[in-house]
Amino acid sequence: MLEGVLIYGFINSVLLVLVAMGFNLTFGISGVANFAYGALYIMAGFLCWGLLNSLGLPYWLAVAVSVAAIALLAGLLFRFVLLRVRGLVISEVIATFGVGLAILELFRYWGFIGFEYTLPVWLDASFDIGETVVDGQRLIMVAVGAGLTLFLWFFTRHSRIGRAFRGIAQDERTALTLGINADLTAAFAVAFGAGYAAMAALVILPLGTIAVNEGYNVLVNALAVCIVGGLGSTMGVIVAGFLIGYAQIFTATYGETHWMMIVSLAALLVILLVKPSGLFGKQKELEERI
Amino acid sequence: MSQAILQVEDLSKSFGGVKAVSGVSFELMENQVLGVIGPNGAGKTTLINLLTGFVRPDRGKVLFRGQNIAGMKPYKVANLGVARTFQMVKPFYQLPAFKNLVLPLKSPRAKQLTGGRYGDRDAVAKDLLEEVGFERDSWVIFKQASVLPHGYLKRLELARCIAMAADLVVLDELFSGLSLAEVASLVPVIDKLRVQGKTIIMVEHRLRELFRIADRVMVMNFGQKIAEGKPREVMEMPAVRGAYLGSEEEGA
Repeated sequence: MLEGVLIYGFINSVLLVLVAMGFNLTFGISGVANFAYGALYIMAGFLCWGLLNSLGLPYWLAVAVSVAAIALLAGLLFRFVLLRVRGLVISEVIATFGVGLAILELFRYWGFIGFEYTLPVWLDASFDIGETVVDGQRLIMVAVGAGLTLFLWFFTRHSRIGRAFRGIAQDERTALTLGINADLTAAFAVAFGAGYAAMAALVILPLGTIAVNEGYNVLVNALAVCIVGGLGSTMGVIVAGFLIGYAQIFTATYGETHWMMIVSLAALLVILLVKPSGLFGKQKELEERI
Repeated sequence: MSQAILQVEDLSKSFGGVKAVSGVSFELMENQVLGVIGPNGAGKTTLINLLTGFVRPDRGKVLFRGQNIAGMKPYKVANLGVARTFQMVKPFYQLPAFKNLVLPLKSPRAKQLTGGRYGDRDAVAKDLLEEVGFERDSWVIFKQASVLPHGYLKRLELARCIAMAADLVVLDELFSGLSLAEVASLVPVIDKLRVQGKTIIMVEHRLRELFRIADRVMVMNFGQKIAEGKPREVMEMPAVRGAYLGSEEEGA
């Protein structure tokens, strides 16, 4: 049983990292806490579902188009909504939260509820790892999670836009004096984060149904992981993802399944009491110094 | 014959009811050093923000090499060759000191000037740091900016401007918070910039050192330019003495 817990804990941890990475990326670079994140995640699912079932696109193409469309939509959200309230943190939160709420509740209003809203698995097979059976979709999810994390690491270090990302992440005004177009870079960051959300959605949603309420859960999980890890820190997201991921699976195995969500919230509370800047957070240190 | 690199005409900016900068005009010749002085709240930093695109003017022109840059986005101004420092230092705190310079050395402007053949940027960055007074073969250049003392961060601000290969360098109270010895060691660096053909605007409170460097000095008070001229002459003007010392002529 312990072997199963370890394997499924690992899978759950990667899932959380995957879910939180886009939110963290956007916040770390542009300072925008995108509360429409969960809605964009769900929207990617419904969009892909529509492309598959209404237009009959091949699965891989539907996935690619959905990810691109969600990224573009988020970029437009930045350009036409967030840019006007840029720097006013509360307004940014209210604006993104409002947009997210509108998207999710519109789906509910239009009747996108039910068990028929599912995406096919990418790989219909299961594998034995030791004595534990793991299905192909979960293994693909682990691979995609690792791939996206590595890609992010290379991208921010070895590409021009990636360096611009890191520049404005550390000091936007200084980045401006170096000739970096901060608004455009921030728009990219929001789009990029949303693209990651869509990618996470399309690899995770085949494990269940596309449900509006999942949009809220995803947002809460992403927030919990990012805040515990320290907002803006990639290493923080990975460590916090694994901490909460294993804690959830241990709770579900040795306690009750419905306590799983409580674990993330409890972790959130504890970290806010003990170290508000998060495990790897740098915000507070710098503020103290200045 | 040198010509004007910067022409400022009737530049004005209000915040609410406060006229931070009001109808300021001046000209700056290529390769000159202009000092900008005045009491706290005189509008000096707002003037810098207006020149570098960080604040949009209500009216007026800023002609840089004949092109109006008033209201242009800061990154575009930077790409044209105007660099600035910040009074409150703003390094990339999470990068080592020399990596702070690798970013400007890879900036769009650097790419334009070098055609993308940057050479060994790490080495150039270290040379630059040595030029502004970092000890070369020591640990200091590898330390994260967040742990460096204030004096080094001020030098880093200056080095960033040099790395941008700007033609016009705008220094916002570069000397503030530095010891006499630190200031004395920076003066030759600025002299060298002038020899290299840079044009410099310095907002300063450290008048003794400023007067040693500046060709001309402009005095501001309550957002307006109240005097301009050679450093010593300016300080003899009654309006300037009034602004600084609150002399009795004011009420007369």
